[in-house]
Amino acid sequence: MLAIETRGLTRLFDGKAAVDGLDLAVPEGAFYGFLGPNGAGKSTTMRMLTGLLAPTAGSARLLGHDLSADGTAVKRLLGTVPDGLNLFERLTGEEQLRIHGQLYGLPRATSARRAEELLAALELGDDAGKLVQDYSHGMKKKLALGCALIHGPRLLFLDEPFEGIDALAVGGIRRLLQDLVSRGEITVFLTSHVLEVVERLATHVGIIQRGRLVRQGTLSEVRASGTLEESFLESLGVERGAPAPLSWMAGGREPG
Amino acid sequence: MRAGSSGLGAVVELRLRLALRRLRAPTGTAEGVARVVLFGLAGLLGLLFAGAVAAGSYRAARAGAGLGATVPITAVFFGVWQAWTALALVLAEREALDLRRFLGYPLPPRRVWLFGLGAGLAGDPFALFWLLLLAGAFAGAAAARPGPWLLPLGLDIALFAASTVALVALLQELVARLLRLRWSRELAMLAGVAGWLLFAAGARVPARDLFPLLRTVQWIFLPPALAAAAARSLYTGHALASLPWLAAQAAAAAAVGWVAWRLAWRGARSGEEPGAPRRRAAARRRPSRLPEALGPVFEKELLYLSRHPVPRMALLFLPAIAAVLAWRVIPRFPPEAAPVLRALPLFALSPLSWLMLQDLWVNAFGLDRGGARALLLSPAPPERLLGGKNRALGATATALFLLACAPYLAVGGWPPAWALAGAAALHLALAPVYLGLGNLVSVLNPSPAAFAYGRGRRVSALSALAGMVIFSAGSGLMAAPALLAIRFDSPWILAAGWALLGAAAWLAYRRTLPLAGALLLRRREQLLAAVCGDEA
Repeated sequence: MLAIETRGLTRLFDGKAAVDGLDLAVPEGAFYGFLGPNGAGKSTTMRMLTGLLAPTAGSARLLGHDLSADGTAVKRLLGTVPDGLNLFERLTGEEQLRIHGQLYGLPRATSARRAEELLAALELGDDAGKLVQDYSHGMKKKLALGCALIHGPRLLFLDEPFEGIDALAVGGIRRLLQDLVSRGEITVFLTSHVLEVVERLATHVGIIQRGRLVRQGTLSEVRASGTLEESFLESLGVERGAPAPLSWMAGGREPG
Repeated sequence: MRAGSSGLGAVVELRLRLALRRLRAPTGTAEGVARVVLFGLAGLLGLLFAGAVAAGSYRAARAGAGLGATVPITAVFFGVWQAWTALALVLAEREALDLRRFLGYPLPPRRVWLFGLGAGLAGDPFALFWLLLLAGAFAGAAAARPGPWLLPLGLDIALFAASTVALVALLQELVARLLRLRWSRELAMLAGVAGWLLFAAGARVPARDLFPLLRTVQWIFLPPALAAAAARSLYTGHALASLPWLAAQAAAAAAVGWVAWRLAWRGARSGEEPGAPRRRAAARRRPSRLPEALGPVFEKELLYLSRHPVPRMALLFLPAIAAVLAWRVIPRFPPEAAPVLRALPLFALSPLSWLMLQDLWVNAFGLDRGGARALLLSPAPPERLLGGKNRALGATATALFLLACAPYLAVGGWPPAWALAGAAALHLALAPVYLGLGNLVSVLNPSPAAFAYGRGRRVSALSALAGMVIFSAGSGLMAAPALLAIRFDSPWILAAGWALLGAAAWLAYRRTLPLAGALLLRRREQLLAAVCGDEA
């Protein structure tokens, strides 16, 4: 069964396509790395799949549910770490996790117990009583991941989860995600610019450019005989070379 | 210096482009219209009051000396200065320029700061109002006694405006520093309330006994004191005698401005956010003990409201107003006054409590920032999100109202049963009106709000205007039973009328909440774009 299946998913902004006829197929239990250069449409796709943006055309089915017809039921099955995070800065870490769980229908006691467990697992236990605004960027990312996990989602959307956090935190999050996927409990849909991380984690990969899916398949299919980076650049039709020198930095005279 | 001046040109261009871009945003036209309306109102009212000021100044110039001249001169300068300073400290933060953003550029910082001061003045409708009043004072004097003395008078007024702007800038810097201390706002408000109560108590002392004291303390308020001293000399025809005052005023404006600039510069380089409370290491908060049945949105919202400075300040301020109303206003009612009239101050406490929270009910998602994504990603139905927020704000307004009623009843005595029933009915009737209409404004025109006391950082001009209209309409609607009760001299009409209106309003609220929820769902992209900065 497919965890995510889209048909002709399209989103226009001012008549211009940010996502153009996207046909995604993400198997259940996969760790799907969604790659693309800046502005390719990764975040727009994720916002459409999580219900924050309405598609202009096309359809999406998540875990067998039609997203447009069954939005509330689908949302219960999703966990999301969006770009820019979804945290209430004036709640404490503990309040944030517990209230987040309650928003997804968990009883308060269950949510509180899970929050405590998550805080310990994410190494935030000592800072549970501090306001989120006082957290560092890495701590906020971890807390957002905790929010995404607290209600036991079956499909996890992570938009650049490793951006701006140190190697130590990346390692912790990576191990947690790998553990969840390896136990077959969850499907992960991840966007990242860090190709090494995707190569190490993903079982499946999709590459998007200018809103269109240019390649999709298992990791070994996509990278063929080379590395994921080579395959990525090849898919985008980019040749790696030195950029043109800047006229005023090279010691030469600036024209005009 | 070529690099500096061209860089400053870029700052001016940046500000203009940002202003134009705001106009091109989806709600830009409406926002622009709201600004024009605010400026139009300020201009119109300014001209109206300027006429009165001109008349006073005309009479003062004709009188030349004596109380007929000194009283209007002193009243104009002290009145304008007091209102200008008070409003600038509470409201006018919208156009303020954040010096920290320009630290990385090779720009002359003092000129950037001065430009920010000028831009703040140009973007503030209240400043237009005050300047029109001052122009009225000049016009009145010119009409009464044309002559060369008007030149130093014009200079006096210009220096007064400059020194007021400089002092306001200095006070804003000092207040920003004060706000960084824990409980400082609350302590400052308590001090203000205590001063106010002392003032109210002092009003019993005959005015002539207070004059010596006022003469001594007036120099604390240097811009109006120096300007009035110079003007008094000019109005009596002693232009030369005014020169030392004018020189003192110029020196004072420069000195105050310099101190304000130094504080702003030091603050910009400190790396700390102005007005934000200083962060405490390892600060822990007690877990909340709210009943689970109230729901997570209610709990989150109530935690937010309890941590926001506006409800906390209102909790200190409104009970003090209520006590003064009961202490000083009710005894002044003539014994033959209708009982409904005597109860009006009690009834006013409810609209006042809603008014103090107005920025929160017209911009319900502004404080959530990134958290708004969490709300919209969750499977909670949108009407439940709005309902939870509304209940939390309703509970806060009710707490505010009850806390204001307590000192009112303690000082003014226990009112008749119909007055208590009426006050409760009015409070409950106003809630669905303000919250229901506030939901629409919150969804249609959201804006990111700061956890701050200054109004410009909480709500857009358009939402502020919409809030004023809703508040006036709601209060106007509730005035109908009061008029009927006075007309028929039957106090119970009040409670019955408000209960009836309240029931209708609650019904309308319940019916329209799902529609507001559907609107929220339809407008989620615009809301997230406005509140969290998500690109749509």
